[in-house]
Amino acid sequence: MNDAADQQQTNPLREGLTSRAVPQPCAIVIFGATGDLTHRKLMPAVYNLAADGELPPAVVVIGFARRPKSDDEFRKEMEEATRKFSRQNVRDEIWGTFSQSIFYHQSEFGDAAGYKSLAERLDKIDKERGTRGNRLFYFAAGPDQFETILKNLKDAGLNRAKDGGWARVIIEKPFGTDLKSARELNRIVHEAFDESQTYRIDHFLGKETAQNILVLRFANAIFEPLWNTRYIDHVQVTAAETLGVEGRAGYYETAGAMRDMVQNHLLQLLCLIAMEPPTDLRADSIRDEKVKVVRALRRILREQVSLDVVRGQYAAGAINGKPVPGYREEEKVDKRSTIETFVALRIKIDNWRWADVPIYMRVGKRLPKSATEISVHFKKAPAVLFNKEAITLDQNVLVVRIQPDEGISLRMMAKIPGTSLRIEPVKMDFHYGTSFGKASPEAYERLLLDAMSGDATLFARHDEVEEAWAFVDPIEEAWHAKDAPELYFYPAGSWGPEEADELLARDGRAWRRL
Amino acid sequence: MSAFAERSFAFAQDDIPLNMPITESYSLGQEVEIGQIERELKKLWTDGEGAMTRASLVNLAVYSEEPGSLPQNTKLISQLTENSACRAIVIAADRKAKQNHVAAWISAHCHVNRAGSKQVCSEQISFLLEGACADLLPNIVFSHLDSDLPFYLWWQSELRDPMGTQLWAWVDRLIYDSQTWRNFGEQLRLIESAQNEARQRVVLCDLNWTRLDKIRAAVAQFFDHPASHHHFSEMKSVTVCFAPGFKSTAILLIGWLAAQLNWRTDQQSMNGSCRFLDSNKRKIDIELREQSGPPVGEVVLNSETAQFVVKPAECGDLLEVSRHGANEAALPQMLPAQNNDVVALMSQELLRGGPHRVYVRAVNSVRGLL
Repeated sequence: MNDAADQQQTNPLREGLTSRAVPQPCAIVIFGATGDLTHRKLMPAVYNLAADGELPPAVVVIGFARRPKSDDEFRKEMEEATRKFSRQNVRDEIWGTFSQSIFYHQSEFGDAAGYKSLAERLDKIDKERGTRGNRLFYFAAGPDQFETILKNLKDAGLNRAKDGGWARVIIEKPFGTDLKSARELNRIVHEAFDESQTYRIDHFLGKETAQNILVLRFANAIFEPLWNTRYIDHVQVTAAETLGVEGRAGYYETAGAMRDMVQNHLLQLLCLIAMEPPTDLRADSIRDEKVKVVRALRRILREQVSLDVVRGQYAAGAINGKPVPGYREEEKVDKRSTIETFVALRIKIDNWRWADVPIYMRVGKRLPKSATEISVHFKKAPAVLFNKEAITLDQNVLVVRIQPDEGISLRMMAKIPGTSLRIEPVKMDFHYGTSFGKASPEAYERLLLDAMSGDATLFARHDEVEEAWAFVDPIEEAWHAKDAPELYFYPAGSWGPEEADELLARDGRAWRRL
Repeated sequence: MSAFAERSFAFAQDDIPLNMPITESYSLGQEVEIGQIERELKKLWTDGEGAMTRASLVNLAVYSEEPGSLPQNTKLISQLTENSACRAIVIAADRKAKQNHVAAWISAHCHVNRAGSKQVCSEQISFLLEGACADLLPNIVFSHLDSDLPFYLWWQSELRDPMGTQLWAWVDRLIYDSQTWRNFGEQLRLIESAQNEARQRVVLCDLNWTRLDKIRAAVAQFFDHPASHHHFSEMKSVTVCFAPGFKSTAILLIGWLAAQLNWRTDQQSMNGSCRFLDSNKRKIDIELREQSGPPVGEVVLNSETAQFVVKPAECGDLLEVSRHGANEAALPQMLPAQNNDVVALMSQELLRGGPHRVYVRAVNSVRGLL
């Protein structure tokens, strides 16, 4: 898939054993090691990789956090978390050797001495455990800590590759809160790490079906000739969830659905659907094509926002038959909050392929079901023959289901058996879970492995992030202006405000029934 | 009995709805007339519509001449279809039978999918070919393939001359287990001639090679870092322990090292030892040691400066790998071991695509030893 993959075959014994880049020995330093992300996702992911034999022996994990703790206490804590959240059962034999590769480093994020001692400890680990000077720094701490951590890493010389090794940094979203802050964050990151060392993680891209979009488009000759304005009527991207803000109110109150989902996950999915074929599968070849899509997104001017964007907030309602409170009644939420929990947008891509093909995107919390999918709606057959008079033909729709029940379906028209001519839509449906019994690895496993192997394909590049903010910013500004467009309320358990339906109805279209 | 009980399922009582958990009995299912198989299969799915989903990624034909193979293979197919949906065509041939006769059965193997919401079912068509009817194999297979799906042929018996060229032309992957062969050279010759005669390239899938997957991965990982590549040209000896009956597996492992590291046979000697020469004509001594345990047990590679050890962990289903060298601490790690169960080997093979080029090179490197 990338430069690193090109180099892997230097080990002749690897030929035929794996088609992916082989991860290299390294020390993974997690900043924010006592946080939720480390417990729920990161440590279980590293354990699963070790249990599946995907990691070389010389991989160590060093938790970096403020609270005083011994290595053994941290190991115990990580064992409990892994037993709770791992996709496969934790085996004592594996954990026994794996846990000896886990260490804890106590320091304040702003304490330079803590980084100096970290550097010394890493040198010692290199000698003792053969991590060969390779360091992977994972920022699982709050974004407000990024600058401090980066500056201290640089001052301690930990940003530089050592002894022919490498130093890389993985950054969790949010990558800024607007274009200005994203540029500032990128500037700060680039003061310590080159872009080639920087891996901005978007776990949506680690999902099997997201990766399959490129295979579907470019490994099947039947789709690409139709994949343009001539044959496609419109595209819908939906990310619906039944959950409310749960324990994330503090973050959500400053972010909202637009920053939390649209700017990153949904625009990344749109890129995969809309990009041109890359010349090869190198990380930058793919990311070059993705960034062209975001760059081609027609900016929604402030005065257009009320026409092309609908924002909503859930009010009290019911999910799965159980009453749930409205957003403003949730814990730690401002009673007068105007944060959006639902967004629907009409997007245009100003390039040759997608001219005049609207992209409708919707994302929301407390919707009737949880589902993320992309549907490509093809133009109707000409109004002759079967649909000349009374019969109305439906569109062909190709659906890529990202989660849950990952799969692909194609709707087409078929004659209902009988002597009269009745035509109805039928569906060809492919379910990953049905055809492949084996469960896919978690997104974090794939992405961690990629970062250890130097494969940046599934990570966002700085220009992708900035262009995405450039698209989102005018909408956010309009929402925060004095004459801001209205915030619509929808009952929890509904498909969002009626205005979202009107957004499509104005164009003679409707949201796909999920 | 419910209609589905006539297939391969046994219900606790007659009126259990179709979407209830099912206990499988591994029976051959419903006996059908040869000419009615597709019609009966269609009926089977019409009856179960809604509660079940039929799935198939490949046509998997299993051929055996072992007496009693049909129920045994039905059980294997049932287990395999948990992870790999397929149309299974299970064939038992009894060439010595006095009468010429063909019998057929249809059945379905259903498993609750990962989401737990529906039963995912794979079809099985079983045939018993007796007497001269055993020669109907190509026709039986051709008549019952699910169109457009790849065709995997799992040949469980010894191959014989002449092989049906018409059949090979349709095969995408030929699966066999060379560990069971009495005459490796002769069997390989037959396979290679079949492969040459086929109009398309048949991928050779040897379960004896699959058996080595985890061991090979465990050995390979020692040399992932370029700094360890110098050991390739400093290799002095390799010791491979193997269980009784699995010498060919151990030789294939040596063949793999030889093929990938450019070693060639120097001399063959008795008592399980032989010698290879690397590209610089340095000698590498090979010792094959028979002892009870997994098919391939401890593997030790000695270079001038380090020792690389892969051995089965005490728990049995893990490998302990460690590297010992001057000024280096041994850091043992646990890696997954290969499950030698035929279902595990087949599942692994069914989930893999692509050619096995390294296998062919490995075989060629040790052809004289096999």
